[in-house]
Amino acid sequence: MKIRTRNQAGDKIETQMAPMIDVVFQLLIFFMLTLKIIEPEGDFDINMPLGAPQTSSVTDADLPPFKVRLQADPDNRELALLTYNGQPLGNGANAFLRLNSEILKSVNALRAAGPGNLDKQEVEIDPDYGLQYKNIISAISACSGKMVDGKMVRYISRIKFAPIREKE
Amino acid sequence: MKIKSSGSGPPDVDMTPMIDIVFQLIAFFMVITNFEQQQADERVTLPRDQLAKPPEVKRENSLTINFGYEKNKLGEVIDPNPYVFFGDEKLTVEQSALKLRTESQFYKTIGTDLKDVTVEIRADAGVPSGLVQKLIQLCQEEGIGFQRFALKATQNR
Repeated sequence: MKIRTRNQAGDKIETQMAPMIDVVFQLLIFFMLTLKIIEPEGDFDINMPLGAPQTSSVTDADLPPFKVRLQADPDNRELALLTYNGQPLGNGANAFLRLNSEILKSVNALRAAGPGNLDKQEVEIDPDYGLQYKNIISAISACSGKMVDGKMVRYISRIKFAPIREKE
Repeated sequence: MKIKSSGSGPPDVDMTPMIDIVFQLIAFFMVITNFEQQQADERVTLPRDQLAKPPEVKRENSLTINFGYEKNKLGEVIDPNPYVFFGDEKLTVEQSALKLRTESQFYKTIGTDLKDVTVEIRADAGVPSGLVQKLIQLCQEEGIGFQRFALKATQNR
């Protein structure tokens, strides 16, 4: 049996770096090519969407839903008028801020009325057919809550759609 | 003046710093690479919103529906009609009923209750709201029967 003898006089052992560097570069290129920058995506739950059978114990007679109506400008399909329970809140980004504060007022009133009311309360979103979808998300967001110091304060979580309006 | 004499052997190059850097780079790319299969379609530009936080716990059963416009390489809309994208297929809302029925059948076959399946709708910021409503209505129709829905948005920082 061959016995390996120790290097005499402390000879330096040559390490083969080339294959390792080859592999390491291959790995580097692989990870660089597979990199896909994806923005974080979140979502909003729609609890009782349109047309669904009323399975919950809450009926319109108990607690009428807060009605958010979004009217579209027929020319550019942007938001023309936002109304909350019949009260006009204008258009543009400020309309959603106003909606958010109106919802907060209603939420505070519900909290004062008694515990549990807030969980039962629904918001009904009623958009024009042609309205750009981003406005729906802004409206849902304004009803869902507010970001305070990086944390979300939840207002209303039950959001549903009104029946579809006919195409203008 | 000292003149460097050319030795007989090749000059020794210190590889250590380069390898350090390369390993750092590999570690960086490994950490940020997301191997999880994303259902996202690049043709869909989601609306942005501050409250759209990614969920902390991933949903067990979810069906993603991409709904947007056909776009060119520059991201310009080339067809004013929005389509539902299933991989390479593009279908109108009405045409996607068959596909949704197949998906619903699949969940029923594997024994998953449709109450536990969330339909995640990734709709483009510019699609008409009425069509998104129609899509949700279609998902609830007789023979399809999905019940839970979530509307996707990109987190605005």
